[in-house]
Amino acid sequence: MSLDFHAQQASNQRKTYGLLFGMAIVTIVLIYAVGLWLGQSGTALFPMAVIFALVMVWGSYYNSDKLVMTMTGARIIDHDSAPQLFNLVQEIVIAAGIPMPKVAIVEDPAPNAFATGRDPDHAVIAFTTGILNSMDREELQGVAAHELAHVANRDTLVMAVAATTAGVIAIISDIAIRMSWFTGGNRRDNNDSGNAIGAIVGLVAVILAPIAALLLRSAISRKRESLADATAVAFTRNPTGLRRALETLAQDSTVVEQRSNAVAHIWIESPLDSSTTSKLFATHPPIEERIALLRQMEGSGPAK
Amino acid sequence: MDLTLIALVVVVLLAIYFIAQYNKLTRLNVQVDEAFAQIEVQLQRRADLIPNLVETVKGYASHESEVLQKVVEARSAATEAHGFNEVAAADGSLTSALRGLLAITENYPDLKASANFIALQEELSTTENKVGFARQYYNDRVRQLNQALVTLPTNFFGGIAKVVKRDFYEVDSPEKRDVPKVSF
Repeated sequence: MSLDFHAQQASNQRKTYGLLFGMAIVTIVLIYAVGLWLGQSGTALFPMAVIFALVMVWGSYYNSDKLVMTMTGARIIDHDSAPQLFNLVQEIVIAAGIPMPKVAIVEDPAPNAFATGRDPDHAVIAFTTGILNSMDREELQGVAAHELAHVANRDTLVMAVAATTAGVIAIISDIAIRMSWFTGGNRRDNNDSGNAIGAIVGLVAVILAPIAALLLRSAISRKRESLADATAVAFTRNPTGLRRALETLAQDSTVVEQRSNAVAHIWIESPLDSSTTSKLFATHPPIEERIALLRQMEGSGPAK
Repeated sequence: MDLTLIALVVVVLLAIYFIAQYNKLTRLNVQVDEAFAQIEVQLQRRADLIPNLVETVKGYASHESEVLQKVVEARSAATEAHGFNEVAAADGSLTSALRGLLAITENYPDLKASANFIALQEELSTTENKVGFARQYYNDRVRQLNQALVTLPTNFFGGIAKVVKRDFYEVDSPEKRDVPKVSF
Protein backbone atom coordinates (compact mmCIF):
# COMPACT_ATOMS: atom_id res chain seq x y z
CA MET A 1 0.00 0.00 0.00
CA SER A 2 1.27 3.42 -0.79
CA LEU A 3 0.59 6.72 0.86
CA ASP A 4 0.54 10.13 -0.69
CA PHE A 5 1.87 12.92 1.49
CA HIS A 6 -0.69 15.41 0.18
CA ALA A 7 -3.54 13.21 1.43
CA GLN A 8 -1.67 12.82 4.73
CA GLN A 9 -1.31 16.58 5.10
CA ALA A 10 -4.97 17.23 4.34
CA SER A 11 -6.22 14.54 6.71
CA ASN A 12 -4.06 15.82 9.58
CA GLN A 13 -5.23 19.40 9.05
CA ARG A 14 -8.85 18.24 9.09
CA LYS A 15 -8.33 16.29 12.29
CA THR A 16 -6.70 19.29 13.97
CA TYR A 17 -9.75 21.41 13.19
CA GLY A 18 -11.98 18.61 14.50
CA LEU A 19 -10.03 18.46 17.75
CA LEU A 20 -10.03 22.25 18.21
CA PHE A 21 -13.79 22.10 17.66
CA GLY A 22 -13.93 19.40 20.36
CA MET A 23 -12.11 21.79 22.70
CA ALA A 24 -14.72 24.47 22.03
CA ILE A 25 -17.52 21.97 22.77
CA VAL A 26 -15.87 20.96 26.06
CA THR A 27 -15.65 24.64 27.03
CA ILE A 28 -19.33 25.25 26.26
CA VAL A 29 -20.44 22.11 28.09
CA LEU A 30 -18.34 23.15 31.08
CA ILE A 31 -19.84 26.64 31.21
CA TYR A 32 -23.31 25.13 31.00
CA ALA A 33 -22.44 22.64 33.77
CA VAL A 34 -21.11 25.38 36.03
CA GLY A 35 -24.35 27.26 35.43
CA LEU A 36 -26.37 24.19 36.45
CA TRP A 37 -24.28 23.66 39.50
CA LEU A 38 -23.73 27.11 40.89
CA GLY A 39 -26.58 29.03 39.33
CA GLN A 40 -26.14 32.02 37.02
CA SER A 41 -23.23 33.45 38.99
CA GLY A 42 -21.11 30.61 37.62
CA THR A 43 -21.28 31.78 34.00
CA ALA A 44 -19.64 35.06 34.96
CA LEU A 45 -16.44 33.04 35.38
CA PHE A 46 -16.05 32.57 31.64
CA PRO A 47 -14.79 36.02 30.60
CA MET A 48 -12.49 36.09 33.62
CA ALA A 49 -11.02 32.71 32.74
CA VAL A 50 -10.55 33.65 29.09
CA ILE A 51 -8.68 36.83 29.96
CA PHE A 52 -6.54 35.06 32.54
CA ALA A 53 -5.61 32.20 30.20
CA LEU A 54 -5.00 34.56 27.27
CA VAL A 55 -2.60 36.67 29.31
CA MET A 56 -0.70 33.60 30.48
CA VAL A 57 -0.44 31.81 27.16
CA TRP A 58 -0.10 34.83 24.90
CA GLY A 59 3.02 35.97 26.73
CA SER A 60 4.69 32.61 26.31
CA TYR A 61 3.53 32.37 22.69
CA TYR A 62 4.78 35.81 21.77
CA ASN A 63 8.16 35.24 23.42
CA SER A 64 8.31 31.53 22.61
CA ASP A 65 11.65 31.82 20.82
CA LYS A 66 13.47 33.52 23.72
CA LEU A 67 11.64 31.51 26.38
CA VAL A 68 12.41 28.11 24.92
CA MET A 69 15.99 29.12 24.16
CA THR A 70 16.51 29.98 27.81
CA MET A 71 14.74 26.88 29.10
CA THR A 72 16.74 24.51 26.90
CA GLY A 73 20.04 26.43 26.89
CA ALA A 74 20.14 26.58 23.09
CA ARG A 75 22.96 28.61 21.50
CA ILE A 76 22.50 30.37 18.13
CA ILE A 77 25.09 29.45 15.50
CA ASP A 78 26.11 30.80 12.09
CA HIS A 79 27.33 29.17 8.89
CA ASP A 80 31.00 29.03 9.85
CA SER A 81 30.57 27.29 13.18
CA ALA A 82 28.58 24.37 11.72
CA PRO A 83 28.63 24.60 7.92
CA GLN A 84 26.87 21.31 7.18
CA LEU A 85 24.00 21.86 9.61
CA PHE A 86 23.52 25.43 8.44
CA ASN A 87 23.63 24.35 4.79
CA LEU A 88 21.04 21.65 5.13
CA VAL A 89 18.67 23.98 6.95
CA GLN A 90 19.11 26.43 4.05
CA GLU A 91 18.27 23.66 1.60
CA ILE A 92 14.92 22.96 3.26
CA VAL A 93 14.22 26.70 3.53
CA ILE A 94 14.49 26.87 -0.26
CA ALA A 95 12.30 23.79 -0.70
CA ALA A 96 9.68 25.22 1.68
CA GLY A 97 9.81 28.81 0.44
CA ILE A 98 9.97 30.24 3.98
CA PRO A 99 12.36 32.77 5.56
CA MET A 100 15.64 31.46 6.99
CA PRO A 101 15.16 30.72 10.72
CA LYS A 102 17.83 31.05 13.40
CA VAL A 103 19.72 27.81 13.85
CA ALA A 104 20.76 26.76 17.34
CA ILE A 105 22.63 23.96 19.09
CA VAL A 106 21.78 22.50 22.51
CA GLU A 107 24.67 20.87 24.37
CA ASP A 108 23.08 17.54 25.21
CA PRO A 109 24.22 13.99 24.42
CA ALA A 110 20.66 12.82 23.77
CA PRO A 111 19.73 13.04 20.08
CA ASN A 112 16.79 15.41 19.62
CA ALA A 113 15.71 18.61 17.86
CA PHE A 114 12.97 21.23 18.09
CA ALA A 115 11.46 24.27 16.40
CA THR A 116 9.80 27.26 18.02
CA GLY A 117 8.94 30.91 17.43
CA ARG A 118 5.61 32.64 16.98
CA ASP A 119 5.76 32.87 13.18
CA PRO A 120 8.15 31.93 10.35
CA ASP A 121 9.90 35.30 10.72
CA HIS A 122 10.82 34.61 14.36
CA ALA A 123 11.51 30.89 14.08
CA VAL A 124 14.36 29.09 15.78
CA ILE A 125 15.26 25.51 15.04
CA ALA A 126 17.61 23.73 17.40
CA PHE A 127 19.54 20.48 17.35
CA THR A 128 21.25 18.72 20.23
CA THR A 129 24.94 17.91 19.91
CA GLY A 130 23.82 14.29 20.32
CA ILE A 131 21.74 14.33 17.13
CA LEU A 132 24.56 16.00 15.18
CA ASN A 133 26.98 13.30 16.27
CA SER A 134 24.74 10.32 15.65
CA MET A 135 23.19 11.10 12.27
CA ASP A 136 24.43 11.37 8.69
CA ARG A 137 23.55 14.13 6.26
CA GLU A 138 20.43 12.49 4.82
CA GLU A 139 18.99 11.77 8.28
CA LEU A 140 19.71 15.30 9.52
CA GLN A 141 18.04 16.69 6.42
CA GLY A 142 14.91 14.71 7.31
CA VAL A 143 15.02 16.09 10.85
CA ALA A 144 15.53 19.66 9.59
CA ALA A 145 12.58 19.18 7.21
CA HIS A 146 10.38 17.95 10.07
CA GLU A 147 11.27 20.95 12.23
CA LEU A 148 10.80 23.45 9.41
CA ALA A 149 7.46 21.78 8.68
CA HIS A 150 6.40 22.80 12.20
CA VAL A 151 7.45 26.35 11.34
CA ALA A 152 5.64 26.36 7.98
CA ASN A 153 2.49 24.84 9.52
CA ARG A 154 2.57 27.41 12.35
CA ASP A 155 2.38 24.77 15.01
CA THR A 156 3.47 27.16 17.76
CA LEU A 157 0.24 29.07 17.09
CA VAL A 158 -1.90 25.93 16.97
CA MET A 159 -0.44 24.68 20.24
CA ALA A 160 -0.85 28.13 21.83
CA VAL A 161 -4.55 28.08 20.92
CA ALA A 162 -4.87 24.56 22.33
CA ALA A 163 -3.02 25.56 25.51
CA THR A 164 -5.20 28.65 25.96
CA THR A 165 -8.42 26.66 25.65
CA ALA A 166 -7.16 23.94 27.98
CA GLY A 167 -6.12 26.72 30.37
CA VAL A 168 -9.56 28.36 30.25
CA ILE A 169 -11.16 25.01 31.04
CA ALA A 170 -8.80 24.27 33.91
CA ILE A 171 -9.28 27.74 35.43
CA ILE A 172 -13.09 27.60 35.19
CA SER A 173 -13.36 24.22 36.85
CA ASP A 174 -10.81 25.16 39.49
CA ILE A 175 -12.60 28.37 40.45
CA ALA A 176 -16.00 26.64 40.25
CA ILE A 177 -14.89 24.03 42.77
CA ARG A 178 -13.52 26.70 45.09
CA MET A 179 -16.68 28.79 44.78
CA SER A 180 -18.81 25.79 45.70
CA TRP A 181 -17.21 25.78 49.16
CA PHE A 182 -18.80 29.14 49.83
CA THR A 183 -22.10 28.81 48.00
CA GLY A 184 -22.72 25.22 49.07
CA GLY A 185 -24.28 26.19 52.42
CA ASN A 186 -26.44 28.78 50.77
CA ARG A 187 -27.94 26.28 48.39
CA ARG A 188 -28.83 23.74 51.09
CA ASP A 189 -31.47 26.15 52.47
CA ASN A 190 -33.63 26.35 49.37
CA ASN A 191 -33.06 22.84 48.09
CA ASP A 192 -35.31 21.24 45.47
CA SER A 193 -34.83 17.89 43.70
CA GLY A 194 -34.26 19.26 40.15
CA ASN A 195 -31.51 21.47 41.41
CA ALA A 196 -29.84 18.56 43.22
CA ILE A 197 -29.58 16.40 40.08
CA GLY A 198 -28.33 19.38 38.13
CA ALA A 199 -25.72 20.03 40.76
CA ILE A 200 -24.43 16.43 40.61
CA VAL A 201 -24.25 16.44 36.80
CA GLY A 202 -22.52 19.80 36.99
CA LEU A 203 -20.00 18.55 39.53
CA VAL A 204 -19.10 15.53 37.40
CA ALA A 205 -18.70 17.72 34.30
CA VAL A 206 -16.55 20.22 36.18
CA ILE A 207 -14.23 17.43 37.36
CA LEU A 208 -14.03 15.68 33.98
CA ALA A 209 -13.63 18.77 31.77
CA PRO A 210 -9.96 19.51 32.53
CA ILE A 211 -9.07 15.86 31.90
CA ALA A 212 -10.92 15.95 28.57
CA ALA A 213 -9.13 19.19 27.67
CA LEU A 214 -5.75 17.63 28.42
CA LEU A 215 -6.59 14.60 26.29
CA LEU A 216 -7.65 16.82 23.39
CA ARG A 217 -4.52 18.93 23.74
CA SER A 218 -2.32 15.85 23.55
CA ALA A 219 -4.31 14.56 20.58
CA ILE A 220 -3.80 17.88 18.76
CA SER A 221 -0.07 17.70 19.47
CA ARG A 222 0.07 14.16 18.03
CA LYS A 223 -1.79 15.25 14.88
CA ARG A 224 0.63 18.14 14.39
CA GLU A 225 3.55 15.71 14.65
CA SER A 226 2.06 13.44 11.97
CA LEU A 227 1.37 16.49 9.84
CA ALA A 228 4.96 17.67 10.23
CA ASP A 229 6.21 14.25 9.07
CA ALA A 230 4.02 14.46 5.96
CA THR A 231 5.02 18.08 5.27
CA ALA A 232 8.69 17.17 5.70
CA VAL A 233 8.30 14.61 2.91
CA ALA A 234 6.60 17.26 0.78
CA PHE A 235 9.72 19.43 1.23
CA THR A 236 12.43 16.84 0.63
CA ARG A 237 10.47 14.33 -1.53
CA ASN A 238 12.56 11.82 0.35
CA PRO A 239 10.80 9.88 3.13
CA THR A 240 13.89 7.71 3.61
CA GLY A 241 15.95 10.36 5.42
CA LEU A 242 13.34 11.08 8.07
CA ARG A 243 12.45 7.40 8.40
CA ARG A 244 16.08 6.49 9.05
CA ALA A 245 16.40 9.39 11.47
CA LEU A 246 13.39 8.19 13.46
CA GLU A 247 14.83 4.68 13.51
CA THR A 248 18.05 6.06 14.94
CA LEU A 249 16.02 7.94 17.56
CA ALA A 250 13.99 4.84 18.38
CA GLN A 251 17.12 2.80 19.02
CA ASP A 252 18.61 5.46 21.22
CA SER A 253 17.65 5.17 24.87
CA THR A 254 19.17 8.40 26.19
CA VAL A 255 16.70 11.19 26.80
CA VAL A 256 17.20 14.94 26.88
CA GLU A 257 18.19 16.11 30.33
CA GLN A 258 15.46 18.70 30.63
CA ARG A 259 12.52 16.40 31.20
CA SER A 260 10.12 19.25 31.69
CA ASN A 261 6.52 18.63 30.73
CA ALA A 262 6.19 22.25 29.65
CA VAL A 263 8.48 21.91 26.65
CA ALA A 264 7.95 18.19 25.91
CA HIS A 265 5.79 18.78 22.84
CA ILE A 266 8.38 20.82 20.97
CA TRP A 267 11.01 18.08 20.52
CA ILE A 268 11.01 15.77 17.50
CA GLU A 269 10.99 12.76 19.81
CA SER A 270 9.22 12.97 23.15
CA PRO A 271 11.84 13.48 25.89
CA LEU A 272 9.48 11.98 28.49
CA ASP A 273 9.94 8.30 29.14
CA SER A 274 7.20 6.52 27.21
CA SER A 275 6.54 4.05 30.01
CA THR A 276 5.55 6.82 32.40
CA THR A 277 3.19 8.60 30.02
CA SER A 278 0.15 6.71 28.80
CA LYS A 279 -0.63 6.68 25.10
CA LEU A 280 -3.64 8.98 25.47
CA PHE A 281 -1.64 11.73 27.16
CA ALA A 282 1.40 11.39 24.89
CA THR A 283 2.43 14.50 22.94
CA HIS A 284 3.82 12.40 20.06
CA PRO A 285 2.45 9.43 18.10
CA PRO A 286 4.34 6.19 18.81
CA ILE A 287 7.62 6.33 16.90
CA GLU A 288 6.98 2.89 15.35
CA GLU A 289 3.75 4.21 13.81
CA ARG A 290 5.57 7.22 12.36
CA ILE A 291 8.24 4.96 10.86
CA ALA A 292 5.56 2.68 9.37
CA LEU A 293 3.78 5.65 7.75
CA LEU A 294 7.02 6.93 6.22
CA ARG A 295 7.76 3.43 4.91
CA GLN A 296 4.39 3.50 3.16
CA MET A 297 5.26 6.86 1.62
CA GLU A 298 8.56 5.40 0.37
CA GLY A 299 6.52 2.73 -1.36
CA SER A 300 4.50 5.29 -3.29
CA GLY A 301 6.12 5.79 -6.64
CA PRO A 302 5.31 8.51 -9.14
CA ALA A 303 1.59 7.86 -9.00
CA LYS A 304 -1.39 10.05 -9.87
CA MET B 1 -34.72 52.68 -2.12
CA ASP B 2 -34.27 49.25 -0.51
CA LEU B 3 -33.79 47.63 -3.90
CA THR B 4 -31.05 50.01 -4.93
CA LEU B 5 -29.31 49.34 -1.62
CA ILE B 6 -29.45 45.58 -2.21
CA ALA B 7 -28.23 46.03 -5.77
CA LEU B 8 -25.38 48.16 -4.50
CA VAL B 9 -24.37 45.54 -1.91
CA VAL B 10 -24.46 42.82 -4.57
CA VAL B 11 -22.31 44.87 -6.92
CA VAL B 12 -19.77 45.63 -4.19
CA LEU B 13 -19.60 41.96 -3.12
CA LEU B 14 -19.15 40.86 -6.74
CA ALA B 15 -16.41 43.42 -7.22
CA ILE B 16 -14.61 42.17 -4.10
CA TYR B 17 -14.93 38.60 -5.38
CA PHE B 18 -13.55 39.48 -8.81
CA ILE B 19 -10.66 41.40 -7.32
CA ALA B 20 -9.84 38.43 -5.08
CA GLN B 21 -9.70 36.05 -8.06
CA TYR B 22 -7.62 38.51 -10.08
CA ASN B 23 -5.22 38.98 -7.16
CA LYS B 24 -4.91 35.25 -6.63
CA LEU B 25 -3.76 34.72 -10.20
CA THR B 26 -1.40 37.68 -10.08
CA ARG B 27 0.07 36.42 -6.81
CA LEU B 28 0.63 32.93 -8.21
CA ASN B 29 2.28 34.50 -11.24
CA VAL B 30 4.62 36.61 -9.11
CA GLN B 31 5.49 33.54 -7.03
CA VAL B 32 6.58 31.74 -10.19
CA ASP B 33 8.87 34.65 -11.07
CA GLU B 34 10.30 34.70 -7.56
CA ALA B 35 10.87 30.97 -7.66
CA PHE B 36 12.75 31.33 -10.93
CA ALA B 37 14.87 34.11 -9.42
CA GLN B 38 15.72 31.72 -6.59
CA ILE B 39 16.92 29.11 -9.10
CA GLU B 40 19.16 31.74 -10.71
CA VAL B 41 20.58 32.76 -7.32
CA GLN B 42 21.49 29.16 -6.54
CA LEU B 43 22.95 28.60 -10.02
CA GLN B 44 25.08 31.70 -9.52
CA ARG B 45 26.31 30.35 -6.17
CA ARG B 46 27.27 27.12 -7.87
CA ALA B 47 29.09 28.97 -10.65
CA ASP B 48 31.04 30.92 -8.02
CA LEU B 49 32.24 27.73 -6.36
CA ILE B 50 33.56 26.14 -9.52
CA PRO B 51 36.87 28.07 -10.07
CA ASN B 52 37.94 27.10 -6.54
CA LEU B 53 36.92 23.49 -7.15
CA VAL B 54 38.77 23.31 -10.46
CA GLU B 55 41.94 24.76 -8.90
CA THR B 56 41.82 22.27 -6.04
CA VAL B 57 41.29 19.28 -8.32
CA LYS B 58 44.06 20.50 -10.68
CA GLY B 59 46.53 20.40 -7.83
CA TYR B 60 46.06 16.65 -7.44
CA ALA B 61 44.84 15.51 -10.85
CA SER B 62 46.31 17.88 -13.42
CA HIS B 63 46.22 15.33 -16.25
CA GLU B 64 42.41 15.08 -16.09
CA SER B 65 42.38 18.23 -18.21
CA GLU B 66 39.59 16.99 -20.48
CA VAL B 67 37.07 16.63 -17.66
CA LEU B 68 38.20 19.91 -16.10
CA GLN B 69 37.90 21.68 -19.43
CA LYS B 70 34.33 20.46 -19.81
CA VAL B 71 33.39 21.90 -16.44
CA VAL B 72 35.03 25.25 -17.20
CA GLU B 73 33.24 25.48 -20.55
CA ALA B 74 29.90 24.47 -19.12
CA ARG B 75 30.35 27.04 -16.37
CA SER B 76 31.04 29.92 -18.73
CA ALA B 77 28.05 28.87 -20.85
CA ALA B 78 25.91 28.84 -17.73
CA THR B 79 27.01 32.29 -16.57
CA GLU B 80 26.21 33.75 -19.99
CA ALA B 81 22.82 32.06 -20.30
CA HIS B 82 19.81 34.36 -20.46
CA GLY B 83 16.15 33.57 -20.47
CA PHE B 84 14.27 30.59 -19.22
CA ASN B 85 15.17 27.95 -21.83
CA GLU B 86 18.83 28.88 -22.09
CA VAL B 87 19.29 28.87 -18.32
CA ALA B 88 17.66 25.46 -17.98
CA ALA B 89 19.76 23.94 -20.78
CA ALA B 90 23.04 25.40 -19.44
CA ASP B 91 22.10 24.22 -15.94
CA GLY B 92 21.66 20.70 -17.31
CA SER B 93 25.02 20.51 -19.06
CA LEU B 94 26.88 21.99 -16.07
CA THR B 95 25.15 19.51 -13.75
CA SER B 96 26.35 16.56 -15.80
CA ALA B 97 29.86 18.02 -16.25
CA LEU B 98 30.16 18.42 -12.47
CA ARG B 99 28.98 14.90 -11.97
CA GLY B 100 31.74 13.70 -14.28
CA LEU B 101 34.32 15.70 -12.31
CA LEU B 102 33.16 14.34 -8.97
CA ALA B 103 33.27 10.81 -10.38
CA ILE B 104 37.00 11.07 -11.26
CA THR B 105 37.84 12.48 -7.82
CA GLU B 106 37.05 9.00 -6.50
CA ASN B 107 40.37 7.86 -8.03
CA TYR B 108 42.47 10.35 -6.05
CA PRO B 109 42.62 9.44 -2.36
CA ASP B 110 45.01 12.33 -1.61
CA LEU B 111 42.59 14.81 -3.10
CA LYS B 112 39.64 13.32 -1.24
CA ALA B 113 41.57 13.50 2.02
CA SER B 114 42.59 17.15 1.66
CA ALA B 115 40.84 19.47 4.09
CA ASN B 116 40.24 22.01 1.36
CA PHE B 117 38.44 19.47 -0.80
CA ILE B 118 36.32 18.13 2.06
CA ALA B 119 35.05 21.64 2.82
CA LEU B 120 34.49 22.27 -0.88
CA GLN B 121 32.63 19.03 -1.31
CA GLU B 122 30.13 19.97 1.43
CA GLU B 123 29.58 23.37 -0.19
CA LEU B 124 29.18 21.75 -3.59
CA SER B 125 26.71 19.10 -2.43
CA THR B 126 24.64 21.66 -0.54
CA THR B 127 24.58 23.91 -3.58
CA GLU B 128 23.51 20.98 -5.76
CA ASN B 129 20.71 20.25 -3.26
CA LYS B 130 19.70 23.91 -3.17
CA VAL B 131 19.54 24.07 -6.94
CA GLY B 132 17.44 20.91 -6.87
CA PHE B 133 15.06 22.24 -4.22
CA ALA B 134 14.78 25.60 -6.00
CA ARG B 135 13.78 23.72 -9.18
CA GLN B 136 11.29 21.64 -7.21
CA TYR B 137 9.79 24.78 -5.58
CA TYR B 138 9.57 26.47 -8.97
CA ASN B 139 7.78 23.50 -10.51
CA ASP B 140 5.35 23.35 -7.59
CA ARG B 141 4.49 27.03 -8.10
CA VAL B 142 4.09 26.50 -11.85
CA ARG B 143 1.81 23.54 -11.17
CA GLN B 144 -0.37 25.70 -8.89
CA LEU B 145 -0.55 28.52 -11.41
CA ASN B 146 -1.34 26.22 -14.34
CA GLN B 147 -4.00 24.48 -12.29
CA ALA B 148 -5.61 27.81 -11.38
CA LEU B 149 -5.66 28.74 -15.07
CA VAL B 150 -7.75 25.71 -16.01
CA THR B 151 -10.07 25.44 -12.99
CA LEU B 152 -13.14 27.44 -12.01
CA PRO B 153 -13.45 30.26 -11.19
CA THR B 154 -9.90 31.55 -11.69
CA ASN B 155 -9.76 30.40 -15.33
CA PHE B 156 -12.03 33.31 -16.32
CA PHE B 157 -9.51 35.83 -15.07
CA GLY B 158 -6.39 34.66 -16.91
CA GLY B 159 -7.09 36.99 -19.82
CA ILE B 160 -7.81 40.08 -17.71
CA ALA B 161 -4.81 39.52 -15.43
CA LYS B 162 -2.64 38.76 -18.49
CA VAL B 163 -1.42 35.59 -16.82
CA VAL B 164 -0.57 32.63 -19.01
CA LYS B 165 0.48 29.05 -18.40
CA ARG B 166 4.16 28.59 -17.62
CA ASP B 167 6.59 25.84 -18.55
CA PHE B 168 8.02 23.45 -16.01
CA TYR B 169 11.74 23.78 -15.37
CA GLU B 170 13.25 20.69 -16.86
CA VAL B 171 16.92 19.90 -16.84
CA ASP B 172 18.05 18.63 -20.22
CA SER B 173 20.57 16.13 -18.99
CA PRO B 174 20.62 12.42 -19.60
CA GLU B 175 20.89 11.69 -15.88
CA LYS B 176 18.15 13.79 -14.38
CA ARG B 177 18.06 14.64 -10.72
CA ASP B 178 16.77 11.66 -8.80
CA VAL B 179 15.62 13.71 -5.79
CA PRO B 180 11.85 13.62 -6.39
CA LYS B 181 11.40 10.02 -5.32
CA VAL B 182 7.82 10.83 -4.42
CA SER B 183 5.76 12.83 -6.82
CA PHE B 184 2.13 13.42 -7.56
